Amino acid sequence: MFRSIFAAALALGFAATSALAAEWTYTDGSGNTVTLDHVPTRIVMHANTAAGLIPLGIRPVGIYVDTPVAEDKSLQGLDLTGIEIVGEGWGEIDIEKVAALKPDLVLAEWWPLEKAFSGLEGGAGSTNQKMVQIAPVTGPAQGASIVQLIADYETLAASLGADLSAPDIAADKAAFEVSLVKFKAAVAAKPNLTVLPVWAGTDALYVAATAGSSELMDFASWGLKLITPDVADDRGYWETLSWEQADKYQPDLLIVDNRSDATMETAAAQPMWTAMKAAEAGQVADWPAFWLRNYKAYAGALDELTAAIDAADENLTN
Amino acid sequence: MTVAAAEQRSSRVPARAGGLLLLGVVLAAVLFLSITVGARPIALGDVLAAIIAPAPDSTTHRIILELRLPRTLVGLLVGAALGLSGAILQGATRNPLADPGLLGIQSGATLCVVLGISVFGITTLSGYVWLAFLGAGIAAVAVYLIASMGREGATPVKLALAGAAVTAALGSVTSAILITSVETLDQIRFWQVGALTGRTTDILLQVAPFLLFGIALALTTGRILDGLAMGDDVARGLGQRVQLNRAFAGLAAVILAGGAVAAAGPIAFVGLTIPHVARAMTGPNYRWILPYSMLLGPILLLGADIIGRVIVPPGELQVGIVTAAIGAPFFIAFVRRRKLAEL
Repeated sequence: MFRSIFAAALALGFAATSALAAEWTYTDGSGNTVTLDHVPTRIVMHANTAAGLIPLGIRPVGIYVDTPVAEDKSLQGLDLTGIEIVGEGWGEIDIEKVAALKPDLVLAEWWPLEKAFSGLEGGAGSTNQKMVQIAPVTGPAQGASIVQLIADYETLAASLGADLSAPDIAADKAAFEVSLVKFKAAVAAKPNLTVLPVWAGTDALYVAATAGSSELMDFASWGLKLITPDVADDRGYWETLSWEQADKYQPDLLIVDNRSDATMETAAAQPMWTAMKAAEAGQVADWPAFWLRNYKAYAGALDELTAAIDAADENLTN
Repeated sequence: MTVAAAEQRSSRVPARAGGLLLLGVVLAAVLFLSITVGARPIALGDVLAAIIAPAPDSTTHRIILELRLPRTLVGLLVGAALGLSGAILQGATRNPLADPGLLGIQSGATLCVVLGISVFGITTLSGYVWLAFLGAGIAAVAVYLIASMGREGATPVKLALAGAAVTAALGSVTSAILITSVETLDQIRFWQVGALTGRTTDILLQVAPFLLFGIALALTTGRILDGLAMGDDVARGLGQRVQLNRAFAGLAAVILAGGAVAAAGPIAFVGLTIPHVARAMTGPNYRWILPYSMLLGPILLLGADIIGRVIVPPGELQVGIVTAAIGAPFFIAFVRRRKLAEL
């Protein structure tokens, strides 16, 4: 009895000292190192970062979203109860609400091209820059791979106290590995299959450059043959094709940016859409463009693409 | 009017008719170019084959029949509508800066389209047509009612002020919606520029009846506008029912401007610039200014559209951008070169 109380007291004392000593350090995507005197628990996150960390068991106190929450693809299917929404439009962060949450950290993604964290880009307005006065802003970098980004989120989550071996988390990762194996097998089975990622407007057809999107670079690294457009602008994301030129590329499979459901409707409504043989033959699938941030969502997207690849005729065009 | 002036005027009739004929020839040439020139080079023989004996499998035939032909016809009607409505609005309000934006027509149409996208999730151009019409009509009626308050009724100055106020109010509501919904902004961005791309046959058929009716109505307003040009008191002294006539001319302008914005989005400068060019060619007689504006409008609009198609291959520059880029410097040069005709 006495002994156990003594042990408990000792343990408590030890825990207290270790908590005091638990300095938190993180080197972010910009190369900066952020150091706090404790592990942060009250965190405000950009929606995409929340989509990366919530499935790993790290929940924010507040999130800012670039669109109304319901329209944000990355947050779909995630439980947001108890999380305050502090912004629902690009550049529209309610700084007073952020301050009222008394966060000890703000987490977002570093955009190397913009040299800024999500929501704090130069064009997003000066009030947003006040965020850095409320709490340090940090996070992993956008890069050449969503898988790498998810791994970065795992590292970050672990440093914040997440248990990555928890059954749910491990199961999501295992399911993704299975989906990935199937995806690679489907791609390998159709060596002639070419794929074109597009966004469709009524004004023009926008063809995406592989290097402009992390998940497209993932797909390419797994063997998928993505057509490379002649991108004129130096930001390197898209080639703009007048609808009269829409059949400039003839892929076997079209994948359409699915950030908005309207894009597919717009595409289908254009007389020249079916000038692409893939569209004519119905070899069209969703492109999970720019929003994948966790294994569960990625597995779902891969499964859909695998099904589309399996169903596609790889020799539709030459 | 003196006898000499009357004789001089009548002697200028053949010259003006000849000018009109010449504009008709120029317009025919522009229409021909609009069908034959585009972002995709198509041989003249193929263009003719597409019209005479269309082959359903041919991509080039599809481009001619489903893209360029409706686009050209929409451009023809919208250009005529913008030119005419600009001329009517300048005449009826005796304001040389009047254009379809003046009476809140374009801002009303824009707000209605934005609401349609953000609240009802409408995303097709053919859906925007009715929204734009509705918004244009509501805004024009609101402006007219506000301007009619008070003893003198809807005077030109009060119309301009009410139009400016309503435009500002509607514009701020539009901005408020757009900054909170990126989704809506993405959808509206292209429409708001003003464009003829993506205008397919269904859109042409939706707006053509309104625009044709509006054009017919507009061409009958010459006498009314000539009366109003002399000032309300003189017009009244000559037996014109000033308020009624102004409302009638305004109705024609609203149908045209509403139809134009519904078909092509808010296109700037055509409605403002064209009547001044027409006036420079014909003198102050609206019975000539109106048909000249009707022909000059599509010449400018389709001409700008053709330039936009070939300037940034393999993409296109939207006509709203080209007309603004051409229209603004042209208008400045025009104003500097000659004293604008007094209205």
